[in-house]
Amino acid sequence: MTILGQLALWLALLLGAWGTVVGILGGRRGDPALIASARRTTYVLAGVISVAAISLVTALLKSDFNVAYVASYTSRNLPIAYKLSAFYGGQAGSLLFWALVLSLFAAAAQWLTPRRYSYLMPYVAAVTSFVILFFVMVTVFAANPFERLPFTPVDGRGLNPQLQNPGMVIHPPMLYLGYISITIPFAFAVAALLSKRLDMGWLHAIRKWTLISWLFLSVGITLGMWWAYVELGWGGYWAWDPVENASFLPWLTMTAFLHSVMIQEKRGMLKRWNMTLISLSFLLSIFGTFITRSGVISSVHSFTQSSVGYFFLAFLGLSIVGVVVLIWTRASLLKTEAHLDSALSREASFFFNNLLLVGMAFSVLWGTLFPIISEVVRGTQVTVGPPFFNQVNIPIGLGLLALTGIGPLIAWRRASPRNLRRQFAAPLVLAALVALALIALGLRDFYAGMAFTIGAFVVGAIVQEFIRGTGARHRLHGENPALAFVRLVGRNRRRYGGYIVHIGIVIYFVAFAGQAFKTEIEASLKPGESVDLRSPYGHTYTFTHLGVSQYEALNRFVSAASLEITRDGKPFGRPLTSEKRQHVDSFGRPTFEPSTEAAIRYTLREDIYVVYAGSVEGTEEAVYRITINPLVTWVWIGCMVLVFGGAVTLWPGGTVGARGLRRPTESGYQARLPAEMPIEREGAEVLS
Amino acid sequence: MLELLAGAAVAVVALAIILEPLVRGIRRGPPVTPADFAEDAFTPLEESESPKIQALLALKEIEFDRATGKLSDEDYAQLKASYAQQALAAIEVEEREADDAAEAEDAAEALVRQARAQVRTCPECGPRPESEASFCSNCGRALV
Amino acid sequence: MSSAAVMDRRALLRGGMAAIVPVLAQRPTQDTGSAAPLRQPELAGRPRDRITDYENDPFIIGVERRLRCTCGCNLDVHTCRTTDFTCTYAPQLHREVVALVEQNKSAEEILAAFVAEYGETILMAPPKEGFNWAAYLLPGIVIGIVGSVIAWVLIRRSRMAAPAPAASNKESPGALSFTELSEDDATRLQAELQRLEQ
Repeated sequence: MTILGQLALWLALLLGAWGTVVGILGGRRGDPALIASARRTTYVLAGVISVAAISLVTALLKSDFNVAYVASYTSRNLPIAYKLSAFYGGQAGSLLFWALVLSLFAAAAQWLTPRRYSYLMPYVAAVTSFVILFFVMVTVFAANPFERLPFTPVDGRGLNPQLQNPGMVIHPPMLYLGYISITIPFAFAVAALLSKRLDMGWLHAIRKWTLISWLFLSVGITLGMWWAYVELGWGGYWAWDPVENASFLPWLTMTAFLHSVMIQEKRGMLKRWNMTLISLSFLLSIFGTFITRSGVISSVHSFTQSSVGYFFLAFLGLSIVGVVVLIWTRASLLKTEAHLDSALSREASFFFNNLLLVGMAFSVLWGTLFPIISEVVRGTQVTVGPPFFNQVNIPIGLGLLALTGIGPLIAWRRASPRNLRRQFAAPLVLAALVALALIALGLRDFYAGMAFTIGAFVVGAIVQEFIRGTGARHRLHGENPALAFVRLVGRNRRRYGGYIVHIGIVIYFVAFAGQAFKTEIEASLKPGESVDLRSPYGHTYTFTHLGVSQYEALNRFVSAASLEITRDGKPFGRPLTSEKRQHVDSFGRPTFEPSTEAAIRYTLREDIYVVYAGSVEGTEEAVYRITINPLVTWVWIGCMVLVFGGAVTLWPGGTVGARGLRRPTESGYQARLPAEMPIEREGAEVLS
Repeated sequence: MLELLAGAAVAVVALAIILEPLVRGIRRGPPVTPADFAEDAFTPLEESESPKIQALLALKEIEFDRATGKLSDEDYAQLKASYAQQALAAIEVEEREADDAAEAEDAAEALVRQARAQVRTCPECGPRPESEASFCSNCGRALV
Repeated sequence: MSSAAVMDRRALLRGGMAAIVPVLAQRPTQDTGSAAPLRQPELAGRPRDRITDYENDPFIIGVERRLRCTCGCNLDVHTCRTTDFTCTYAPQLHREVVALVEQNKSAEEILAAFVAEYGETILMAPPKEGFNWAAYLLPGIVIGIVGSVIAWVLIRRSRMAAPAPAASNKESPGALSFTELSEDDATRLQAELQRLEQ
């Protein structure tokens, strides 16, 4: 199947180039034939790249070890799900996966965008085709998954055990969906620049796309945390690793864009800034892929190094120049339509929200690149690890959290001091009460205390928004409170869906703050021995070692160590079993270093996280690391709330659309006839 | 070999699909302009480009903002006055346009009436296209 | 750390790291007979030493959290030795830290000793000195400057566009009314708003 795949890639190369040229020409000349061809090219690209992808998947499933990629990332005894996930488990495959997903998104964009934005579509096709062209080019010339070996190995090397985890099957595609879907709003932005149609049209056209890609990014990042938590075994979920940072950067700029775009929609301000933000998000998504794939900054994730990096650098450079030139030459069309009425207004709070989000992105980027900078400037290597990032970013993060609560309380355009007092009183009182309660309870960690206090303020502010909004509808329209609430959310989905997302963000922060109270202990226990650990909530957990059992399973040999747990003397659920896994190939020979499976008992308040580190002197005396991890579950809950809020915002149809449907009666009479009335002549001819 | 053929087939199909519009030169009509894609029935209200709807939405919003206590009465009054002016102006423009359209239609109908008035009719064969003739070209009777 | 504790540790070290020592929180009353051998010990990961109270010492953990493991994992020594049980570097670094603690060195002295041996890159975060201040301060400075500029422009703008507050007409909160407009205009607006609401 590799020949077919190879041919499909070369064909995709040609098609990408064709789509780019025809799209731009078609848009320029307004020639329907060219436009139709550009549109069809995106569909055909999706088809052709799918053919290539299917070829690779077939090779993986058939274990065709003559194909270098298949031999490097799979083995005969690898479970099928992981054979499939090997598609994006290695460099070459993941680049093809990028191209595949982008081509599907590009086709979807052409297919789903309402006809009223058709004037943008040829340019959109050109941009997406160009980006696809780039990825196919890298795949063909620098990291070809279809390359064959001069011989056929009897078995493949197998997939890295750390990637053999259900989280790893879904996490990378999710994150990729996020990264890749940014290309679509970016393509619309470039299309608007190219077509010089810089009114609200393109912003409306990408509304759903930006939110969808933001949600994918959020979910992808959170799934990455989950994978790290479950699989990497250090009991945490975020280590400020360069690859994690790379996924966080576009998330920050997309978040900034989601907010500042509202100002452009409402007031026609910040046009250039929004163009910059969406372009920055796209560039950062490419940069993230570059960091992951080039190994430019050493990182656990960057398991490969090749010439791919140069392609990415060239593409990044080209994109930056292109975007800068486009925005520069269109600057006069991107003039602001309004000025701020007041420094105390929602708009002003958005300015600061954007400042902090982009500032945070800058600080993360700065920290990620600082080792390189230091080496260039001083010739000394330094490490920039979690202590640095926490120190720099926690204050910014808390500032952002505070703005999450402050922003919605301030009115658009102008807010008077009296209004502010009325809006802020209740949330501030709530925050103060929480702060006092925390101090009374003996909480001494400053940042955690701040996170809880500000979180209380934000929740107070949002709840107040819902209550006042419901009240207002009740008074203005005489609806009963329940109906008023439903209509309130239903008719302002963006606003109230956004508030729900904010609640999700607060939950994340609370969960992050919980990390300050993590407690852990190491112990070597013989069967029957036990160790006590006191949790931050004041419980005393007793862990009793039951023993180590060894057995063969699937593609590995397992040594499982079990602990019985009691809490305050009472039994606490079933025993926890952590595993050491020695993966073997189909001949039973060990492959890879032994990996560790943590055992986790999830509870809402604190997780118990047990790792079997190994045995002493080859006996059942086991060495454990036991961690009590407060509030971690809330990270996953926060993500669910966030997705729910996003779904509320995105939910199609409903009253808004229905109202739109009825409107033609009102706007249908706008068919304008030219003043000279050509009908006179034509009509006369026909009629006479 | 089979794969090569399959690849070639994919290539041929792909090229056929993307080149077809150019070869056939479909609808080489006038260039597409934004006006061709004016708002359709499915445009959500907020995405409407109509100044009237935008102004009305702004009015509703400030009303809501005041009700939730985010806008002082002074600011509310000021903003309301300005949006009400905008809305009225936009309504006027729309009405004028509608009138123009109606007028245009009237003019068209007048033409039709005029043309109809000139048409001569044969008592047997009905209206005849030849308005200058005196007799029906079909049956030879005198036209009225 | 009390000197008694340190003395204890010295005695311990002399006894060797493999000495059987009860874990800090371990119940001393338990039976500590020998454990049964594993069926296939070579497949149960790298052999481990018994845990002594050095491994759980908050001071040592605190120091190790600031040191980077040299195995290329990007983790600090404590995290690496309690996570990546295949790493041979982290336990070695841990022993070095313990040895320095034994010599009664302060945290800063231990870190300095490591920097002297491995270079600055052994620290998890760049030391706050010289050019490294750029790493810590630049983001804050940039945010501060841009923030002040925005604030300044905003305040100036809002002063320039000083509001000309309209005559405050106290209307009861309720449906929009347009008292200042002509009756005709007002009804027209109301009708349009009504249509929008449907």
